[in-house]
Amino acid sequence: MSDAATARSWRATAARVLFSDYFVLWLCVVYVAVVAPFTPGFLTLENAGNLLATLLPLFVVALGQTLVLITGGIDLSVTSIIGLCSITGALAMNDDTGWLARSPMAMPVGAGVMLAAGALVGGFNGTAITRFRMPPFIVTLASMMGVSGAAVWLTQSKTINRLPDAFNALGGKTTIALVIALVVGISVHVMLSRSMFGRWLYAVGHNARTARVSGVPVNGVILGAYICSGVLAAVAAILYTGQAETGSPVLGQRILLDVIGATVIGGTSLFGGRGKVLWTLFGVLFLKLVDNSLNLLSLSLFTLTIVKGVVILLAALLDSLRTRLGPADR
Amino acid sequence: MRPRPSSPGILVLRQAPLILFAAIVLLFGALAPKFLTADNAINVLIQAVPTAIVAVGMTFVLLTAGVDLSVGAIMFLGGAIAGKLLVGGQPLPLALGAILAVGVAFGALNAVFVTRLRIAPFIVTLALLFIGRGVALTITQTRAMNLPDSFLQLGATRIAGVPLPLMVLGAVVLTAQVVLMHTPFGRQIYAVGNHPANARRAGIRTQRILAAVYIICGFCAALGGILSLAQLGAVSPKFGEAYEFKAIAAAVLGGTSLFGGRGAVFPGTVLGAVLIQSIETGLVILNADPYAYPVVTAAVILIAVLVDSVRNTALSRLTQRRIRVDA
Amino acid sequence: MTSAPAVEFQGIDKNFSGVPVLRAVTFSVAAGRTLGLVGENGAGKSTLMNILGGNLRSDHGRMVLAGQPYAPGHPTDASRRGVAFIHQDLNLFSNLTIAENIFLTSFPRLGGAPWIAQRRLHTRTTQLLHDVGLDLAPDTPVERLSTGECQLVEIARALSVDARLIILDEPTTSLSARETDALFALLRRLQAQGIALIYISHILEHVRQLCHDVVVLRDGAVVAQGTIATFSTAALISAMVGRSLTQLYPTRHGAATGEMALEVKAVSQPGIVRAIDFTVRRGEVVGMFGLMGAGRSELARILFGLEPHASGEISIAGQPLAHADARRRIEHGLAFVSDDRRHDGLCLHASIADNLALVSLRSHARGKFKLIDRTGWQRAISRIREAVRLTAKANDDQPVQTLSGGNQQKVALGKWLLMSPAVLILDEPTRGVDVGAKFDLYQLMLDLADRGSGLLVISSEIEELIGICDRILVMSQGEIRGNFRRTEFNRETLLTAALPRETQT
Ligand SMILES: Nc1ncnc2c1ncn2[C@@H]1O[C@H](COP(=O)(O)OP(=O)(O)OP(=O)(O)O)[C@@H](O)[C@H]1O
Ligand SMILES: [Mg+2]
Repeated sequence: MSDAATARSWRATAARVLFSDYFVLWLCVVYVAVVAPFTPGFLTLENAGNLLATLLPLFVVALGQTLVLITGGIDLSVTSIIGLCSITGALAMNDDTGWLARSPMAMPVGAGVMLAAGALVGGFNGTAITRFRMPPFIVTLASMMGVSGAAVWLTQSKTINRLPDAFNALGGKTTIALVIALVVGISVHVMLSRSMFGRWLYAVGHNARTARVSGVPVNGVILGAYICSGVLAAVAAILYTGQAETGSPVLGQRILLDVIGATVIGGTSLFGGRGKVLWTLFGVLFLKLVDNSLNLLSLSLFTLTIVKGVVILLAALLDSLRTRLGPADR
Repeated sequence: MRPRPSSPGILVLRQAPLILFAAIVLLFGALAPKFLTADNAINVLIQAVPTAIVAVGMTFVLLTAGVDLSVGAIMFLGGAIAGKLLVGGQPLPLALGAILAVGVAFGALNAVFVTRLRIAPFIVTLALLFIGRGVALTITQTRAMNLPDSFLQLGATRIAGVPLPLMVLGAVVLTAQVVLMHTPFGRQIYAVGNHPANARRAGIRTQRILAAVYIICGFCAALGGILSLAQLGAVSPKFGEAYEFKAIAAAVLGGTSLFGGRGAVFPGTVLGAVLIQSIETGLVILNADPYAYPVVTAAVILIAVLVDSVRNTALSRLTQRRIRVDA
Repeated sequence: MTSAPAVEFQGIDKNFSGVPVLRAVTFSVAAGRTLGLVGENGAGKSTLMNILGGNLRSDHGRMVLAGQPYAPGHPTDASRRGVAFIHQDLNLFSNLTIAENIFLTSFPRLGGAPWIAQRRLHTRTTQLLHDVGLDLAPDTPVERLSTGECQLVEIARALSVDARLIILDEPTTSLSARETDALFALLRRLQAQGIALIYISHILEHVRQLCHDVVVLRDGAVVAQGTIATFSTAALISAMVGRSLTQLYPTRHGAATGEMALEVKAVSQPGIVRAIDFTVRRGEVVGMFGLMGAGRSELARILFGLEPHASGEISIAGQPLAHADARRRIEHGLAFVSDDRRHDGLCLHASIADNLALVSLRSHARGKFKLIDRTGWQRAISRIREAVRLTAKANDDQPVQTLSGGNQQKVALGKWLLMSPAVLILDEPTRGVDVGAKFDLYQLMLDLADRGSGLLVISSEIEELIGICDRILVMSQGEIRGNFRRTEFNRETLLTAALPRETQT
């Protein structure tokens, strides 16, 4: 009798952990607890700073991806947007040839130009998807190729140095980057959970036809999601460029799968209708913890790739476990 | 009282992808007459074979609304193992067998995770992409490995005057087409892609179907890898990188939906692969700035998909049910 | 000795995440007889049949099929044992042809090879389609079929397996009267062959026509059973609802017609509708009757701006709407409950609350950033829930998908209530809804009319239109063929007007 009762309460606790929004965070805690003893320098303040510095920009891009995934789309062009924004900003601001060179307004105007470039590419994606009913995967794949190709072509694959200090501080100073990421994160959270636009995003992702019949401006909502994704990629470009203190057309080229992987590990569905800022934050945190700890172990690049793959699989395994223990038929 | 969709307008629309393809070929031909020679046509076809074969496997997976991001890693890992075996003096057939075995094994691994453990295909195959490339890098120690001439011979062999790669492509496409269109298994793949829950209710063993498509895709990736290596002659650390996108692009250009249940291997996917290759070869012949390649390719892909979507909208309007006969 | 019952249920229990849906269900279906299974929406009829069909497993209890223990783990187990299942929500694949849908798991093959024998597939399908009275080529893609035609294909599929027991879960919801008659004739032939049937329907008249025995489920438990002759319709209803229902239609009080709500002038779209002219006043309930395929749903979609029209004028509350999209029309006070609630009416995976709030979100958005006023929102949702009498069992966060059909329909209608529309267009609003809930829905509709909305109710059920409407328009072949006031209501006249004319080809 009491056995059954304890079993039930144990199950209930397990279920509460598994189904809470904080599941992936728990996973991170467990990971840290398991890995820390073997990883010298993992639990130091300095490392935490490093971790944070690489985490913030990834988080910002992943937020944009979350919005797009909620509508049931996908944005493969984010990394190329980062590259494009990085060089447009750098071309405008650098001390040698930029039209903003040494101007006191260089930082704000330069950043504005970068955001505009991001919005432009996002707007292009969104328009192609809504106006011309082209599949998001292909549209954004093509803009990934086209935009990053254009960025490389424009610069002949060279990087651009000598950017204004004020601009470099945006990404280079972790505190400033943290503030930027927090502001972005909180705004997106409020937008998703409290605003009309946020509710519309979910409705479109669940069932676009029903949304249309219910008076949701479906095309506008989807367009909005891609523009947001472009702008957030541009914000990430500001952070990355500032960190590197150079504009590069291939900046962020390797993080595409990290962005989507982190978002999905967090729990956002690739089929639309599900996703939260917190989930994405924890997904990014988890992925970065893994990356960071493996770097500290100074494993070779290839071992690092293998371990990363295994860890992603394990995280997904736990996630599938919780969907299976959850309410039947979802 | 069903309207028979056979008016000339509808026929043109149905063939829109072919027409677009012809237009692109003619455009390149006008810019560089060399492009229109028979030699070049065969060359483009042969070059397109690896992509086409990988994309055929990808089509199977896409039809079930899944995706396989690990194809490039499979190609690389197979190549790395084969390279090691050949350098170690093992015979060629063993090496080829090893590559195909890697493909099937990876496909099976994907299948187990997707069907038994119910993990989203995107995540599973993403993880296996990392793992596969990592293992392959360990094997090759991130150095390029040259393959023996016997391997290169594979690409140059002709049987009854037809280059071996084309024979292989023909066999793969024919088999795939028959399987998809004329066997219960093939039709059930379409049903699963259309609505997995309903497919289960209809009595289809959905898990088996899903498992099979990942194994098929793994096998095709390995086969495509062999033919690609036979063209390149070496396993470089970048071998197979981003191949997943190339294969998906070829399939989608050929009209396969990423949401499952719609698409075909022939002409669809094959045409997509050849289209992508034509652009690349055309740009080479035109001596274009190499930096411009991705931009042009992207533009052509966009146009192709645009035409396809316009066509679909128009077709569905034209073949709409009618309630009354108006004068 | 009589032969063993076709199927026996012994103490079947089923919970969905802790909520009991079936409780100790025990009854049997006699061999060769037809059993009517009736009960309110959400009583558990489909769940029980899903257990029988191998889609779900019971928590407790067992089943005996023709004398043998029976515990299907997969739908194929069921069909192997001769149990065929016609699902309530159509189970077809839009990307495949009719023939492929019918033989999906039992394709005729060429010898022992895995090839499909196309010729045999074709002839067998043609035969089956003939049996169910569907005049279509076997290679027609299913996406080109109307809902009624899909239902017939589903029935053909059940016939294709050599079934000893056929489950029909509300098979007539989208069939026309003629198709229903044809189906019944077919079912009678099956009865004569000694095949047992389980027939689920909310149309008690049909149950009475077709069934030998009846079982009534309420809240997952069997509350009455016996031969059909021992039950009066009133007795059946009160067993289902748990109280006696004195009338099927609420009394219409108002019928005071106000100013013009909807004006449609000469609306035409080639191949679809021609010269549609009618009006709906505020407070008026106008019915639109017609046979399946008469163009009523298409007209509704044109009125709501979901499909284009070539010429003509539509105005709402005196405001002409040129080619405004659905969103603009909603702002002008037009509301629409589609007949396809799964695709056009609901976000099935989203919660009840989110579905109910979708249309009226705008009225809860505050400030520059359009933030939602949570408390007002919550209050509005509970108000609608109360108004539509949604079962108390369901909580706000539950996905709509887990609701029974009738309750889903209440959600689909409920989401429009908050905006007090000028005109509400309802396309088959009570399809698949139980008698009790139907009454609730009618009441809701009439209340709306009393509060000044104009209603356009599209239905294929003559009785319900006669029961609640002030005026009935009859549509056929894409044209309006009649306009009858309450005093002129007459089954025969309405039906005659709805028949297609054989003049043109
Ligand atoms: N997957 C599920 N998860 C949770 N609850 C469910 C699920 N499926 C059904 N239910 C609940 O089980 C109950 C019985 O549903 P069922 O579909 O069997 O009703 P029904 O008698 O067929 O009704 P209807 O006449 O509307 O078709 C309902 O209250 C429904 O909400
Ligand atoms: Mg039911």
